Amino acid sequence: MSRIKKAQAGNTATLSQSGINSMTIKEDNISGLYVHIPFCTSKCAYCNFYSEPVSAHDTYRLLQAMRRELSLADTSAVRTVYIGGGSPSCLPAAQLAEFMKTITDKCHDITEFTVECNPCQAAPRMLENLRELGVNRLSIGAQSFNDDELNLLGRIHNSESVRTAVYQARQAGFENISLDLIFAICGSTQATWQASLEQAIALNPEHISAYSLTLEASTPLAQEIEQGKYTAVDELTDRAMYEQAIETLTKAGYEHYEISNFAKSGFECRHNMGCWQNRPYIGIGPSASSSSGTRRTRNFSDIKTYIKAIESDQSPIGETVKISDMDRICETAVLNLRTKNGIDVKKFKQVTGNDPCLLFAEPVRTHCEQGLLKIENDRIYLTAKALPIADYVLCDFAAL
Amino acid sequence: MDTQYIRNFSIIAHIDHGKSTLADRMLEITGTITAREAQEQLLDDMDLERERGITIKASAVTMNYEYEGHAYMLNLIDTPGHVDFHYEVSRALAACEGALLVVDATQGVQAQTVANAYLAVENGAELMGVINKVDLPAAQPDVVGDEIEHVLGVKKSECLLISAKTGKGVKEVLDSICALMPAPKDLSNEPVEALIFDSHFDEYRGVICYVRVFSGKLKLKQKIRLMGSGRTYLITEIGKFCPKMKPAGELGTGEVGYVIANIRQLGDVTIGDTITDDAAPAEHALEKYKPPLQMVFSDFYPGSNTDYPKLRAAFDKLALNDASFSFVPQNSPALGFGFRCGFLGLLHMEIIQERLERENDINVVQTAPSVSYEVVMRDGKVIRIDSPSQLPDRTYIEELREPFVKLEIITGTDSIGGIMKLAEERRCKLIKTDYLGPTRVIMEYKSPLAEIVYDFYDLLKSISHGYATMDYEFLAFEKSSLVKIDILINGNPVDALSLIVHRDNAEPRGRKLIVKLRKTIPRHQFEIPLQVAIGGKIIARETIKAFRKDVTAKLYGGDVTRKMKVLKKQKEGKKRMKNIGNVQIPQEAFMSILDTSD
Ligand SMILES: Nc1nc2c(ncn2[C@@H]2O[C@H](COP(=O)(O)OP(=O)(O)OP(=O)(O)O)[C@@H](O)[C@H]2O)c(=O)[nH]1
Ligand code: SF4
Ligand SMILES: [Mg+2]
Repeated sequence: MSRIKKAQAGNTATLSQSGINSMTIKEDNISGLYVHIPFCTSKCAYCNFYSEPVSAHDTYRLLQAMRRELSLADTSAVRTVYIGGGSPSCLPAAQLAEFMKTITDKCHDITEFTVECNPCQAAPRMLENLRELGVNRLSIGAQSFNDDELNLLGRIHNSESVRTAVYQARQAGFENISLDLIFAICGSTQATWQASLEQAIALNPEHISAYSLTLEASTPLAQEIEQGKYTAVDELTDRAMYEQAIETLTKAGYEHYEISNFAKSGFECRHNMGCWQNRPYIGIGPSASSSSGTRRTRNFSDIKTYIKAIESDQSPIGETVKISDMDRICETAVLNLRTKNGIDVKKFKQVTGNDPCLLFAEPVRTHCEQGLLKIENDRIYLTAKALPIADYVLCDFAAL
Repeated sequence: MDTQYIRNFSIIAHIDHGKSTLADRMLEITGTITAREAQEQLLDDMDLERERGITIKASAVTMNYEYEGHAYMLNLIDTPGHVDFHYEVSRALAACEGALLVVDATQGVQAQTVANAYLAVENGAELMGVINKVDLPAAQPDVVGDEIEHVLGVKKSECLLISAKTGKGVKEVLDSICALMPAPKDLSNEPVEALIFDSHFDEYRGVICYVRVFSGKLKLKQKIRLMGSGRTYLITEIGKFCPKMKPAGELGTGEVGYVIANIRQLGDVTIGDTITDDAAPAEHALEKYKPPLQMVFSDFYPGSNTDYPKLRAAFDKLALNDASFSFVPQNSPALGFGFRCGFLGLLHMEIIQERLERENDINVVQTAPSVSYEVVMRDGKVIRIDSPSQLPDRTYIEELREPFVKLEIITGTDSIGGIMKLAEERRCKLIKTDYLGPTRVIMEYKSPLAEIVYDFYDLLKSISHGYATMDYEFLAFEKSSLVKIDILINGNPVDALSLIVHRDNAEPRGRKLIVKLRKTIPRHQFEIPLQVAIGGKIIARETIKAFRKDVTAKLYGGDVTRKMKVLKKQKEGKKRMKNIGNVQIPQEAFMSILDTSD
């Protein structure tokens, strides 16, 4: 499953027992909490996330360390929580539950609480447990409904497990379910992709993420393609599949609200929206990153190094990058532009103190001329034509 | 000072044979610098000189030395070895009576050794042979001595064996200079004549003229006249290089030093001009040397049109310090407003380019360097063009002429075959071959400048495993069977990609060229046809396929820093591109037209 951090919207239920009203905190100050569980049952062929075989580690010891890291974090502004990985669902159920409880004890005003779940690990008891602990959104790593494709990706589940997982999640009371899908898998065609999309829609999830397969160098799949064992899907087809996803999902009532994300109205992932607004976030666990707005840090990836640091009362931060005002402005522009709403000119001014139309006058002008950007109602956003080539436009906002 | 105790000499040699190091030792031995001040190649004081370890500009220094009980004044002028800067060597030599010809004992006589020795002879400077680096195990002073005697006519028995590194033999060099080199003529009672052999610009003091006084003397507050331009100035400071500028009251006959006279611009003084007294002028100016010859030209365009004034200001500043670099406004239909710049050679071009980028924050797109051509028009007029894009329409042209040079290559006998093959491919005509010694030859060719000025040297080096060296000298423009290759991108001719080549090579060159362009021009959202035309006829085409996808699927918190870096890089790449009819053409594409490899 991916480390993608998703959350939810629409659900107004607050987990807080102490009852601070989220409305008392200005929206721009709120932050998200991301927890990285670096374990998987086995490694998928295309995956370059940091994860290790769950069987080889003392999961409890790591969770203890993470609990300690969490206890030191200032989570007062946290409103969304996302437990990703790796596969959180591969943890022993009791350990996972205990950890969830630590979070809800510490964060009192959670509006969206997502846990990533591998389809073959969606045990009814665990799901019920999570639901009871306040988890209100489940992100299921379906990836495809074609078993050959799942096989090629090295996934440990089949399409049937996805259907079962969604069913169990509903049974457990989840009203906000997201499915991850991957297209342009080697050997896939527009027809197999269409079938996957339709089967996903048939399950009626509130949210769907559709990613083009990214071939990360050094993954087994990329090497197999290099060796000629598989052929990567050509660019034209890849693009057609992307457009196909947009069309199919939009028709089925999902709003295309970010480059790769689709949701029924009100179910946009709040946690990730926070990221695209460039709001601060706290990351807990090995390789997790945090951003304060002026600094972005990343924890040690190596599980042992991470544990050792925390157990000896040292910082688990392996890497710190300063974010200058300029960097932050550019990041905000780039991230905003990935969303359907694009850059909200007024809000951008308010948050960064700068008028994006002036700051980015040159790229805005040239891309508007080419029909890749549009300015309307105080918003600057990518046109449909620009979506498949978004980076070509975004790179001009990456620096001044 | 009594001229019989003055010695003026240059140090000349092939690149890296140790001129600057020898100068260091002399400065130390004569106590001109203290051990504390000493640093390697002390006279190479420009940043670029220090970084590259080469001498770009000649520099002068005055040393005091005692020999046989007499106090001598030794004026040393260190010179660059690279072919691009030969004119610096001529200037230095014109100010001297003698020259130390330094030859590396492990490398022997090389192309620039010969070229610079000739320059010395032409300038009437007495040659003194110095075989350097004898400390190295691979030193062959005996063989090298034979070469020097054989090719340069300097007696082997009179060559001094030294190590500029350890200092061995350097004192003997100083003694020999005093004992054997001619002293300046004593013309102290004649009207003053001083040769300006170099100049540089100082932000605070204006132009600083490097002078050699041939007769009479120059004094502080003297009203002087530049005989060439007729302008007059008042000397506000005069002095010697020790090696820092040290004011003195005057410079007498035979002496070398500097003059500051409120001259605001480098362009106001011509190197080679004669300074005389305004009230009591000399009758004839000293003989001038030839102005430096610009060999290659290239256009510079600002990446963004709004940077044009910035680019002009940057060039103004560069020209202030380098009179051999020129630039004129240029308007290209494809690339817009920019400048056509002239350089002494590719190294000179690289240096200017590097300084431009280092000292200014401007993105420039530079076109491939070109030599100049002479065009004889149907009406008999002869015009000079220095870019293929300036070539008039075929129907007006009677004849095309290209520059030819005398090319000298020194190499080991084992690579003669390979070099002859390369030379033939490059339209070079062998004039003669001489043996330097049993295993080394000197080959003289007549060759078109355009064939040897770009990548020839690199190819020569690789054929000879690094051993061959070359030097060239301009001969004349001569008729050639030349054609222009035009490139059309998306149907638009792009003048900056045009190329003038020999008719026999035109087709294969054109075909190779668009393959290169196809690889260097990034894909766009639309298909881009590329075409090559020779004499208006399309001879080949290629297509750049449209790109379909360029989007990062996942971008969440942890990836932002890394992704921003990637996007920034993508943007940087775009900046050094020129937009021609909607097609973004990157810097490398312009340069790829010179690449003749497969
Ligand atoms: N072993 C040894 N190395 C030497 C000697 N003289 C010079 N070198 C080295 O040779 C290299 C070139 O010396 P330079 O003095 O810079 O040569 P140059 O002739 O001034 O070079 P350009 O100004 O670039 O033409 C340097 O690395 C010196 O240290 C010597 O006598 N013995
Ligand atoms: S489930 Fe597969 S894709 Fe997801 S983190 Fe684990 S190995 Fe990677
Ligand atoms: Mg030198």
